[in-house]
Amino acid sequence: MILEVKNLKKVYGDKTVVNIEHIQITAGETIGLVGNNGAGKTTFFRMLLDLIRPTEGEVLSKGENVAHQENWKNYTASFLDEGFLIDYLTPEEYFTFIGSLNQLSTADVGAYLTQYGEFFNNEILNSGKYIRDFSKGNQVKVGIAAALMQKPEILILDEPFANLDPTTQIRLKNLLKAQAGSMTTFISSHDLNHVTDVCNRIILVEKGQVIKDFKTDENTLKELESYFSA
Amino acid sequence: MLNTFLSHQRKSFWRSRNRGGSIAAQVVLGLFMLYFLLVALGIGFGMKIFLPKFFPHQDAITSFNGIILYYFAFDLLMRLQLQELPTLSIIPYLHLKISKSKIVSFLNIKALFSVFNLWPFLLFLPFCFVSVLPQNGFLVVSAYILSIISLMLLNNYLILFLKRKSISNILFTIGGLAIVSAFVALEYFKVISIMAGSDWAFKAITKQPLFAMIFPIIAFLIFKINAAFLRKNLYVEELSAKQEKKVSTDYAFFNRFGKAGELAALELKLIIRHKRPRNTVLMGTIILVYGFLFYKPEVIQSNSFGMMLFAAVFMTGMSIISYGQFMFAWQSSHFDGLLSNKIDFKDFIKAKFLLFTIASTILTILASFYCFISAKLLILHLVAYLYNIGFTTVMVLILATYNYKRIDISRSASFNWQGMGATQWISIFPFILLPILIYWAFNIFHQPFVGLLAIGLFGLIMLVTRGFWVNFIVKRFEKQRYKIAEGFRE
Repeated sequence: MILEVKNLKKVYGDKTVVNIEHIQITAGETIGLVGNNGAGKTTFFRMLLDLIRPTEGEVLSKGENVAHQENWKNYTASFLDEGFLIDYLTPEEYFTFIGSLNQLSTADVGAYLTQYGEFFNNEILNSGKYIRDFSKGNQVKVGIAAALMQKPEILILDEPFANLDPTTQIRLKNLLKAQAGSMTTFISSHDLNHVTDVCNRIILVEKGQVIKDFKTDENTLKELESYFSA
Repeated sequence: MLNTFLSHQRKSFWRSRNRGGSIAAQVVLGLFMLYFLLVALGIGFGMKIFLPKFFPHQDAITSFNGIILYYFAFDLLMRLQLQELPTLSIIPYLHLKISKSKIVSFLNIKALFSVFNLWPFLLFLPFCFVSVLPQNGFLVVSAYILSIISLMLLNNYLILFLKRKSISNILFTIGGLAIVSAFVALEYFKVISIMAGSDWAFKAITKQPLFAMIFPIIAFLIFKINAAFLRKNLYVEELSAKQEKKVSTDYAFFNRFGKAGELAALELKLIIRHKRPRNTVLMGTIILVYGFLFYKPEVIQSNSFGMMLFAAVFMTGMSIISYGQFMFAWQSSHFDGLLSNKIDFKDFIKAKFLLFTIASTILTILASFYCFISAKLLILHLVAYLYNIGFTTVMVLILATYNYKRIDISRSASFNWQGMGATQWISIFPFILLPILIYWAFNIFHQPFVGLLAIGLFGLIMLVTRGFWVNFIVKRFEKQRYKIAEGFRE
């Protein structure tokens, strides 16, 4: 078990945004977090990453509370939104910076990035632009590539498919599928097709609570569709 | 048509979305403006007295003539950094049935509404009327005024043209500043004299007022060139200052400081690549002239360092205070990223100390040119320097952990007051007042140098115990980080 969420609660004023009793995640799982707007997905992710202090409860990463020590940062990579990008850097500078935090030399980073030429569609590297000058889709690509570069054991992505063009969506799915088993992945998405395709476990949340938590099979998509159309 | 444009402009100002919270800031800004304009006016009227004092060996009019071109050289540099292109406001009109020449003339008129165009009037006209008029008569004064107004317009449109045409790189400003400083130095050592040249030009005008026509002619030419350029390139993406190709840079200097150095280099890029933090830091260098106001010979003679301490602390620590008062908020747009990445908070805080120390060291070195006035000032600056890197840095960072206001630095108004709160204003004063208080305590016993020693020692102790303070701030930061991150997300 690599991640464990115990009794996690976040209350703003009198509104409970997240209220999760218990989730256990074993290493290698690919989990899709599904829910409508306001279900508390992003807040939940932020608590996983110790960006928001839970009102109650705790998040245990390899048995250690993420709020009390920082060891989890050594094997966790994430991209939630553009707030994770340092947007006044060129992509190269950003990758080098992230690489240096993970003991990767400039050469390592360069070698890693060569395999991403296709994913980047040649629009990102050597473009002579700062990250802030990119379209949203390209910013997301930078964020995801930087997260994957860290070769994390746990990867957390918030709506990675939004803003991406169809080709890149498919490429990203293949990338994620290829990592399945070796990496624990936590993604959220509004696109039911994509999550059921990529994930082997779905957690459905509504108003901060876990409604369903199940392994995907051939009926999952139908099940989810009927839930959301109800 | 022009009236409609201007009325739209007025509305856009009064109805702008972020006005609500910032009315107080606008008032403060207005007061500042008023203050500067009054100072300019004061200098203008005082020139008759100041000029003979600064340049005792020549008569006031010669000195006055001499400084005119100097002023406009500095003016040009200031504008290069601070004057904004009036561009974006025309986008909604471009596709409408409005002739391009009208839009161009609107842009040109709008460009006149700049504080820079007010200062020359206040600075120079009083002297023209008080001194030049009685001595040389009406015709000559008219020629002076015509020249001054033309020079102002020349600068105004030249800057717009340069900014549109090329990149307004900070290096231009620094380079320009270096050139002007070089001329000042050459002037000082009597090698080449711009002052003499400026004086020569205006002497010629005094003899033959018709010569003054040369300035309006040049100004008109520049105006025409600018207008023609605009007319030809009335496309939004071409109008705004041109984008240079961005290159990746690596500040090797910082590598020796490890992770903290890397973070400091990151922040240095932030400063260089955004207008607001850049101007905030540059302000620190402009403040360096403060010394001329405070370092009077009689004050230095009598060792009364009280008021001079004020200037010294300000000059050597201005960038710490002005940049530091928005600490962490500069990084608000990617604060989540910083927290969730593998960054040790200790390195994060150390990086801030490193930057502050470098900035203060540079300022102190620059300020050491005051030693030409008196060597005592070097001691004074050293004391202020120790105080700043020892104490001010620590205080600024402790206060920063109470700052939850987001700043959007990518928005680049020259006077962007977002994130400005009462705490920021109040927090400045203790830094300045504390050393003066320490000094006065010793001064009661007529021990000015012991007072300085005490302040220096205080700074030194703080500096030696920096490790402790880093840990202290890290602890506070760890406690406050959720609150800070939450505030920055808004």
